[in-house]
Amino acid sequence: MITVNVTVNGKKYKRDVEPSKTLLRFLREDLGLTGTKEGCGAGECGACTVFMDGHTVNSCMVLAAELEGRSVETIEGEAKEGVLSDIQAAFDRHHAIQCGYCSAGMVLSVRELLKRNPKPSVEQIKEGIEGNFCRCTGYQQIIEAVLDVSGQEGSKGELHYV
Amino acid sequence: MSRILESELNVQGLTAYIDDSDEPRGMLHGTLAVTPCARGRLLGIDPRPALALDPSVRVLSAACVPGENQLGASVPDEPLLVEGEWGFKGQGIALVLAATQAMARKAATLVAIDYEELEPVLDAREASSRGSYILPSRTMASGDTSSAFARSAIVVSGRTESGGQEHVYLETQGAIAEPREGGRVFVLSGTQAPSGVQHAVARVLGLSMNAVEIETRRLGGGFGGKEDQAAGWAALAALGALATKRQVKVYLSRREDMAWTGKRHPYSADFRLGLDAEGRILAFEADYYQNSGAACDLSPAILSRTLFHAASAYRVPNLRVTGRMCRTNLIPFTAFRGFGAPQGIFVMECALDAAARAGGWDPIELRRKNLLKEGDVFHFGQPLANCHTGRSVDRLLEKSGWKSLRAEMDSFNASHALEKRGAAILPLAFGVSFTKLVMNQGGALVHVFHDGSVSVSTGAVEMGQQVSRKIQVIAARALGISEARIRVESTKTGTVANTFPTAASTGADINGMAALAACEEIRARLLSFAAKRLGAELGNLRLEGEFVVNGCEPTDLGWNKLVDEAHLERVDLSAHGFYATPGLFYDMKAERGSPFAYHVYGCAAVTATLDVLRGTYRFDTATIVHDSGESLDLSVDLGQTEGAFAQGLGWAALEDLRFDSKGSLLTDTLSTYKLPDIHFMPEMEVEFLADAGNPKAVMRSKAIGEPPFMYGIAGYFAVLDALRSARPDLAPSYDLPMTPEKALAILTGAGAPAKGAQDASALAPPKPECAEGALS
Repeated sequence: MITVNVTVNGKKYKRDVEPSKTLLRFLREDLGLTGTKEGCGAGECGACTVFMDGHTVNSCMVLAAELEGRSVETIEGEAKEGVLSDIQAAFDRHHAIQCGYCSAGMVLSVRELLKRNPKPSVEQIKEGIEGNFCRCTGYQQIIEAVLDVSGQEGSKGELHYV
Repeated sequence: MSRILESELNVQGLTAYIDDSDEPRGMLHGTLAVTPCARGRLLGIDPRPALALDPSVRVLSAACVPGENQLGASVPDEPLLVEGEWGFKGQGIALVLAATQAMARKAATLVAIDYEELEPVLDAREASSRGSYILPSRTMASGDTSSAFARSAIVVSGRTESGGQEHVYLETQGAIAEPREGGRVFVLSGTQAPSGVQHAVARVLGLSMNAVEIETRRLGGGFGGKEDQAAGWAALAALGALATKRQVKVYLSRREDMAWTGKRHPYSADFRLGLDAEGRILAFEADYYQNSGAACDLSPAILSRTLFHAASAYRVPNLRVTGRMCRTNLIPFTAFRGFGAPQGIFVMECALDAAARAGGWDPIELRRKNLLKEGDVFHFGQPLANCHTGRSVDRLLEKSGWKSLRAEMDSFNASHALEKRGAAILPLAFGVSFTKLVMNQGGALVHVFHDGSVSVSTGAVEMGQQVSRKIQVIAARALGISEARIRVESTKTGTVANTFPTAASTGADINGMAALAACEEIRARLLSFAAKRLGAELGNLRLEGEFVVNGCEPTDLGWNKLVDEAHLERVDLSAHGFYATPGLFYDMKAERGSPFAYHVYGCAAVTATLDVLRGTYRFDTATIVHDSGESLDLSVDLGQTEGAFAQGLGWAALEDLRFDSKGSLLTDTLSTYKLPDIHFMPEMEVEFLADAGNPKAVMRSKAIGEPPFMYGIAGYFAVLDALRSARPDLAPSYDLPMTPEKALAILTGAGAPAKGAQDASALAPPKPECAEGALS
């Protein structure tokens, strides 16, 4: 066991962890933060994306034993006192969520993108979330949500019948 | 508050899936020791090396199954745990339990298996030539194809291949079972078919169904992969729970899920299409070889949908199609969005493609000329009603600016040697209903609580398609109250019984109608109470905007007051609703009937640009005109349309399911199995048809889940179109998916893929009917 001191969503934790435990399992099993999902366990799908020291990582590819002194933010820290963040609200508004399994990782990847680039083009949005698979949406409603939240009402306005 | 409660929770990570449940002290984790090769015979199991790992390890084999060791719902050919000979790699031999998941997985590898390896059969046609079938073949026919071919000015024939497809629902399969008092068991299951899982668990454990309760909260994606295929994991968890008197969780890793669970059926087919000199279809014949895998699963129902959609959206006066369910030593293939229809529609589109080339016809005009029209009769005898295919195609061509687009592409292609553009359209007529009559029924239970809040339970499973949102809309409209008052519950077999899978796009149709029936019954009781209370004429009263309205006059009876007073007067505030889709019938012997409640129509155009040196391509645009009736929620239907199209495009172009020559899955990770990412998808422009209210479904809506999947097929032909601009001298084979590797092979002329490599129009006509070809 290795002892680590880590801050998660602003709260300090001191925990003993097995050397082989991933950050993903640490969050889910040791801290009960199950909003972060495992999609593949191999760093390929992006479902388990979290922030570590201000940048997104696939939490299935980070070992908990490496967390000493670090700061982690998960989807549970995104809404403040039950009020959706602007990214979450845009995802909700644009129906950018279907089954919900990729949503936590997707939202955090968008946050990282907007931090670097507050007004990304469609191509830049694609680059920003290219590490996140969504099997349900075809991605377009996600792109529309990002355009909206970055103040570029690129979405095609109200849905209509022909 | 969000319009869609499920979304608001999802976006915060607050929705709980199987793996998010608390794990109480003492819970055991289960996994499988599996068959090491595609075909073999089990000679013995030695659990001792596994048991030596840790005192918590338990190993349960077929001999430990107290009931029937069988999962096969329609044909008993799939044991839960192998006894004797086995038919595919990755089938369970023993359930291995341990205190942690990691330990269970390690222990499973230590179970010593003594076996004899047998030679597998992997190819559908080879299985067919050996007479290895799941069930007898099935033929649908109308008119007289022989004389129609004789009259035809042009006859084309050829062979097609279409590949399997991995579901890649982001939540893998799993279940948690909990022993309850009196020998009962509760299972939290990730399934589209809670009642089916209940029956499977009861059968395996030798229990009556009332001793087994299944709950499904939601799925992180299903797409058909969690119908019959979910039963095994629940049965294993329940078996472990009853054997150990502890909670047992069985939850698959991504690799296990890919290696151990069923996928879309690969098909091989021969076709023959005859047309008159003007390009009107006179006759179509096809023989489909479905690779069913090692067990029946849902293969007969999937084949049936292939045969029903053999003519796709076209009028075919003389038709004869035969489907064979070929038993091979691959994993049992199963339901996947579209359910056999994409495989059948692809063959018809290949036939039209070959005909356009042979006859020198414009591919679009050829399709338009042959589109189904109101009153046309399908080859199984059902007349087409409320048809919007022609309208959809016309609007699509107008919206996409087809004529100028085509001209622009042709001039681009003439002036660019290293890049070529291509395009194709796909008209749609997709039948809605389970083709197995009994499955077209559903129930609902609605409670109005005396504080005015409402709870709705149905047999529908929420898996991202927002069926719960649609049921919420239906209940709110029926009761004349705010959507915020309605909560749609998780799906529980003890609450709504004898349900059928949330599948075949019918989830909202059937369960929404059942919920509507229950709400209408409660509304009638409340209005009857209100009539007495107000001394008003019952016929003048209605519930609207949370008030009882008397003719045009508002009353003082708001919803809360109404419910509270009715409760005090002992009015029943709960109701069960039931719906059985009317008008469906089918005669299996004659292959005639009316199997579909209605059809969904539409049309899509896809454009692509090909890199002539590399074979890589990008999809530029997708334009879709789709019929969603009077949508219950447009943004939900938009998401379903775009998402289904994405999966269809993935199947048509990208997703390349591969097995090695011994039947081992090669593509068992997301690095080896490529699915659509955000760069793969073109910009999608979707329009819904107006004035297309559907008289045959709840509140004039239409099913949405599967039909737009078919639009992806246009992607295959768009790339093929671009390839032909580059290499007009070549006649590529029809082999889906059109991966960049295949495109490059075509461009370099190196090789046409091994199977079906001949020029489509030069192939011999299909072989005569096989001996087993009697009607099933």
